Amino acid sequence: MTGSAWQGLAALAVFLGLLLLFAALGRRSPASFRPIPAFEALGRAIERAVEAGQRVHISLGTGSTVGQESAPAFAGLAALSSIARTTSMSDRPVVATTGDAAMAILARDTLRSAYESVGAAERYEPTAGRLLAPTPFSYIAGLPLVLATEEVAVHMLTGSFGVEAALAADFGERENAFVIAGTDDVQSQALFFATAEHPLIGEEVFATGAYLEVGGLHTASLRTQDALRWAIIALILGGTLLSTFGVLR
Amino acid sequence: MRVRLSALWAAVALAAGLFVLLGYFVQLKAVQDLRLTFLHWAVLLAGAALIVGLVNLVSVHWRKVGLLEEGWIYSAVLILALVITLGLGLFFGPDNAVALFIFSNFQLPVETSLMALLAVSLVVAGFRLVSRRRDLYTLIFLATALFVMVGTAPWPLPGLGTFEVVVRDLRAWISQVWAAGGARGILLGVALGATATGLRVLLGTERPYGG
Repeated sequence: MTGSAWQGLAALAVFLGLLLLFAALGRRSPASFRPIPAFEALGRAIERAVEAGQRVHISLGTGSTVGQESAPAFAGLAALSSIARTTSMSDRPVVATTGDAAMAILARDTLRSAYESVGAAERYEPTAGRLLAPTPFSYIAGLPLVLATEEVAVHMLTGSFGVEAALAADFGERENAFVIAGTDDVQSQALFFATAEHPLIGEEVFATGAYLEVGGLHTASLRTQDALRWAIIALILGGTLLSTFGVLR
Repeated sequence: MRVRLSALWAAVALAAGLFVLLGYFVQLKAVQDLRLTFLHWAVLLAGAALIVGLVNLVSVHWRKVGLLEEGWIYSAVLILALVITLGLGLFFGPDNAVALFIFSNFQLPVETSLMALLAVSLVVAGFRLVSRRRDLYTLIFLATALFVMVGTAPWPLPGLGTFEVVVRDLRAWISQVWAAGGARGILLGVALGATATGLRVLLGTERPYGG
């Protein structure tokens, strides 16, 4: 094993150790997170949608299941599970769309598990998790029809997007839906900032599970990320100072 | 029985995930070979998933046409286009002249038009942003975007050489120092979030594969 491989493995071990530690501490010392207005508004928007008999739509993006770009979509699946349970008694259950066929299968499995967990297995519809189209712009071309015909009141975008992100959010705004959007790509985040009513900036998209109270490990994940972020900041500052004074070269 | 099956799926996913992860760190041939085999299987499964996805796509739109739901005509056009292009691709191959003609004259113009629409949408979104979200962050965002655009575009007025150089240098300073620094900070957070998400799936607490 090379030096960098050892470092990577050590970093992963620290991450995992902290994650399990915070998960164990979870009940004894509950975490308190800063309020994120987008998530507070999301809860209210979902309630309004259920009362009005309208639908929540979750877009899992146009990225592939294989590779780094799948991470925000997996965060979106956690949100899908939580929202499906919350809206299981709604007249119009949640719909998930994606531009990746494998992710569509995962969305259907997530929906089925969510409905079974709340004893509403009969609410599951195989067409509620859909492959809209297999390329980014053809996916975007198919979105307006879903938003218009499915009476979507909440349009949530959590997945990997390219430049098509702007249109994906904008179509929701045009339908007067509540639009909340987050992704991993920095440029797409800038596009969401301009086009979405409630953009999720930085790693906020990965905090979705913790804020929607999906499970204890989501909260532990967020605490681990915060702890490691401070460690990285300390390392960067320390390294800068040491380099400035000639200790490190 | 269902509980046992879900535990089995979790165990299979966990083992496959761990071997692929281990392959990034351990350079042993056996581990590398196994990792590559799993990745090849993943590509094959993604191909099979596309067929399942297409069946799902057709069933969604078939239902819309059958029930004459709102927008059923678009669904009918989609099914018709899918059948025609799939048939042409299967019988004559994807490099066939007719298939290429359809791609160049239907698919490509539609996607290019959407790209053009993007520019218009962003201008409208900029105006909407000013009216809807009037805060310091929005002001900085819009001012920076405008300044970087002006600094990047061809200079329209002649005889402002020094001023042009100052604007271009300032634009470079903003985009290469401030914007790049901010982007790196965001990317660090995203990397931490992505790692946490991956670990939750590996630990089996998050099971999008059912159970």
